[in-house]
Amino acid sequence: MAAVSATCVRFEPSLKHSIKLNQVTGRTSSLKLVSVGWARNGFPSLRSSCFRISCSAKPETVQKVCEIVRKQLALPPESELTPESKFSALGADSLDTVEIVMGLEEEFDISVEEDSSQNITTVQEAADLIEKLIQKKGEA
Amino acid sequence: MMKIHCYERNFCVSSCSLVPKPLPPRMETHFWYILPDEVKSSSLLNQYLDLLSPCEKENVFRMQGDQLKKRAILARALVRTTIARYQINSQVSPRSLKFRKNIHGKPEVEWQLDEDWRPPPLHFNISHTSSLIACGVTVDSLIGIDVEEKQRTIKNNILSFAQRYFSRHEVELLTSIPDTEVQRQEFIKLWTLKEAYVKALGRGFSGAPFKTFTIRYGAAISGNFNSEASEIVVESSDDPTNLTSNWEFTLLELAGSHYAAICTEKDNACEGKGNVPRKLTVWKTIPFVEDECVSGTGAVVIIGGLTESEVIT
Repeated sequence: MAAVSATCVRFEPSLKHSIKLNQVTGRTSSLKLVSVGWARNGFPSLRSSCFRISCSAKPETVQKVCEIVRKQLALPPESELTPESKFSALGADSLDTVEIVMGLEEEFDISVEEDSSQNITTVQEAADLIEKLIQKKGEA
Repeated sequence: MMKIHCYERNFCVSSCSLVPKPLPPRMETHFWYILPDEVKSSSLLNQYLDLLSPCEKENVFRMQGDQLKKRAILARALVRTTIARYQINSQVSPRSLKFRKNIHGKPEVEWQLDEDWRPPPLHFNISHTSSLIACGVTVDSLIGIDVEEKQRTIKNNILSFAQRYFSRHEVELLTSIPDTEVQRQEFIKLWTLKEAYVKALGRGFSGAPFKTFTIRYGAAISGNFNSEASEIVVESSDDPTNLTSNWEFTLLELAGSHYAAICTEKDNACEGKGNVPRKLTVWKTIPFVEDECVSGTGAVVIIGGLTESEVIT
């Protein structure tokens, strides 16, 4: 069975929320594995032709991710942090991003593959990946 | 109303106000860095902003807060002005340069091709921290660089982090260091070296996962961290006897405040001549304002690798 680890083009928020499918992990035939580029100068690039249709992650998950990101990047309390906030735009460098991923692994008791961790560039992406991995764990 | 500062010699920004440089020859690396704190003039910053492409400007404005915006402007301005210095041809100016990403996301110059003209095999790589932004340039050799503040701490426990991401040999090395401060310093040095290697390969984080290779250097082998700089090597974790010998590393202390790691390809043509050390020249710059060659000064201390520091007067 193909493991799903792919970068995905995001739908516009309104479209995403109006397509509520059950999140099926790893069994959707429309998903393809693609290679990902991670530009080292802080300009993340998503190059993919696959689509992911998913529910939004649970608000509690998003909230916990926000806390971890805030702590890692030492963001002042008044700084704006939304699910769409890009880590690089918040000042995260590659070491910060790796630390964030490690923090998420510990918090949620999951294991993130190297190539998946490149896909985590925003709070929303982190939360979605976490939920997917938790669900996979539950099924194992 | 224009304010004329005595150190702003150039009001009309054009590429001719950059001190031109010949391209580095093979087996030499040019390393340029800027200290954001030295750029205090908002009109200079605006001049830099003006050099950027629309896409780069968008990225700048997405950054949260003035400091991050400034850093983003300086990073792009440094790359553009650095490459433009090399007088590639009369068409190249900081503003005219175009960039693209290779198949793995590594930035490269997109030369405007002409019938009669072939672009030089110029390679570059940049890295930034909040207090220093650097750009390395070579000809005919892949290059990756990484800079970190010497005082950088991580939120996680160092050994836990290393166990998660570094190779077994590297974890053993770090574990063997009794002093926590020395351990932290060695961790940061290892991180910069590993980052520089992955960036030189240009395959992205997943193209060369940190666990799959080990960086070793002289001090690490002898256990004496005060020993003189000696060769740094990378080996594949799967096959420790296989030194991936076509990469060479330099580790520097920069401006007393940062570690900088530079990874470049060895020149295969020189194989018969033994281990010819690569030459390195370092400039501190404020583009359009001043350049200072700092190789051979206290601002550049080579702490790893066999590189020779070249002073250009």
